[in-house]
Amino acid sequence: MRRLRIVALPYLVWMLVLVLLPSLLILLLSISDLDIYNLGAFSFVADGFEELSKPLVIEAMKNSLRLSALATMICLLIGYPVAYYLASLKTKKKTMLITLFILPVWSNMLLRIIAWETLFFPNSILNMFGVSLNLIGTDLAILIGMTSMYLPFMTLPIYSVLEKMDTSLIEASKDLGASNMQSFLKVTLPLSLSGVVSGVIMTLLPSMTAFALPERLSGGKTLLIGNIIEDYFMKTSNINGGAMISIALMLVIIVLFITVVHFDKEGETLL
Amino acid sequence: MSLWRKSPLLILTIFAFFIIYLPIMIIMLFSVNGSEKDYSFDSFSLKWYVEMFEDPQLFEAIRNTLMIATISTLIATIIGTLTAIGIHSLSKKNRTNMMILNNIPVINPDIVTGISLMLVFSLLPISFGMPTMLLAHIFFSIPFVVLTVLPKLKELDPNLYDAALDLGCSRFGAIYRVIIPSIKTGMLAGALIAFTMSIDDFVISYFTSGQGFQNVSIWIYSRIGRKSFSKGVYAYNTLVVFVTVVLLLISSRKNKKTIVRKEEK
Repeated sequence: MRRLRIVALPYLVWMLVLVLLPSLLILLLSISDLDIYNLGAFSFVADGFEELSKPLVIEAMKNSLRLSALATMICLLIGYPVAYYLASLKTKKKTMLITLFILPVWSNMLLRIIAWETLFFPNSILNMFGVSLNLIGTDLAILIGMTSMYLPFMTLPIYSVLEKMDTSLIEASKDLGASNMQSFLKVTLPLSLSGVVSGVIMTLLPSMTAFALPERLSGGKTLLIGNIIEDYFMKTSNINGGAMISIALMLVIIVLFITVVHFDKEGETLL
Repeated sequence: MSLWRKSPLLILTIFAFFIIYLPIMIIMLFSVNGSEKDYSFDSFSLKWYVEMFEDPQLFEAIRNTLMIATISTLIATIIGTLTAIGIHSLSKKNRTNMMILNNIPVINPDIVTGISLMLVFSLLPISFGMPTMLLAHIFFSIPFVVLTVLPKLKELDPNLYDAALDLGCSRFGAIYRVIIPSIKTGMLAGALIAFTMSIDDFVISYFTSGQGFQNVSIWIYSRIGRKSFSKGVYAYNTLVVFVTVVLLLISSRKNKKTIVRKEEK
């Protein structure tokens, strides 16, 4: 089958053009006054760095880090036990159950956000049950929304690792005298680490960069870094400023990406 | 596991299902709500299922969404499968490197993919709209097809391909007659993921579509909280969820069949 290697070549070119080129472009735009819509001469300027010291941008970065870290922690605390439980089921239905758990991801996210939004207003369909929430604008609203949207991303990679795990290892640890807790901490947990790393990153990144979700569930009050980037690129057309903020974000992403690659080289936990 | 250890896990799992399914249930409820308001439910009505076809802009957005999803899935499945075959035949080191490259768009947040593609497309001599959105959808779908097809290729006996060549097949004949039939389930799964990702994508489409060409998500985003937000979209989403469930049931049944066949052999 070695002769088929050639088929991978066009993809390499395609990926370099659509992944590497734009990354370099963003880097160039962030440190120059290049006009992307009207290419011509440009000079290197340091204006971009001022973007990073604007109070609004710093505030948005802090919000992004705080809320995404909290959301990821909540998703891990719920997602790990759920993945563990589903993977431990003896029934053949467990594949169906985990698929059902992923299914909502395949339904329109904006509409799911709007559905939460309507529930969080004091005047909502929950009034029928005598409940009235007033959560719009609170961190809690954003955290509930993020948990609801991203929990499947945390659960699936952990489930895939736990499901493939050789259960005889756990039996062996018990034969050797480990308690349930000990065999979980010393066998199951370390072996599921690659799933946990993938899950954490698949949750952390979308929650850190969300923009429609915080916009709706905070009533426009809480800005995340995604809101700033959307604003720069799509509303005020400050491409160079937006590029600088994206670079800051991409540095975080690169560190996280290297971590995933370290634990899971071929991306087996990504699906 | 004894019951006292199991029940907290069971309760947590039910809670997790609840929190991810609640918004879907609410959308279903809204789709049959006779009231114009989202905060009261007075009567059962199917009028939004009719409205979905009668609001011209919503209907156009739905048509665009399905068209983009169909074309991008077809193209991504073909390219993704060939690419997976190519990657599979690489040396171990090159394969790992290609997979790292392949997984960048999977891990990258949509907003970064969105602005990256927007910048590259603005360098190309094409105007923003249907073609750019289609290219973007093909781009983010291929890695998922590669990820679903590659494990199937690993299960395949590499001698089969060489045997087909020895018996007189051309290279592509051997791919078509020997490799493709053995990786069909992976391709189908990849196509299903690509299609559902495409139908529901918002962020990447938003950054790569420019003005004028809207899919359902962009239609929603430009109308949230406005009068022109037609509740027909709740009906559309409910139908999409039902179709997805049916497709999943069919594909899981197919999977079962292939497993049975293997066991018979």
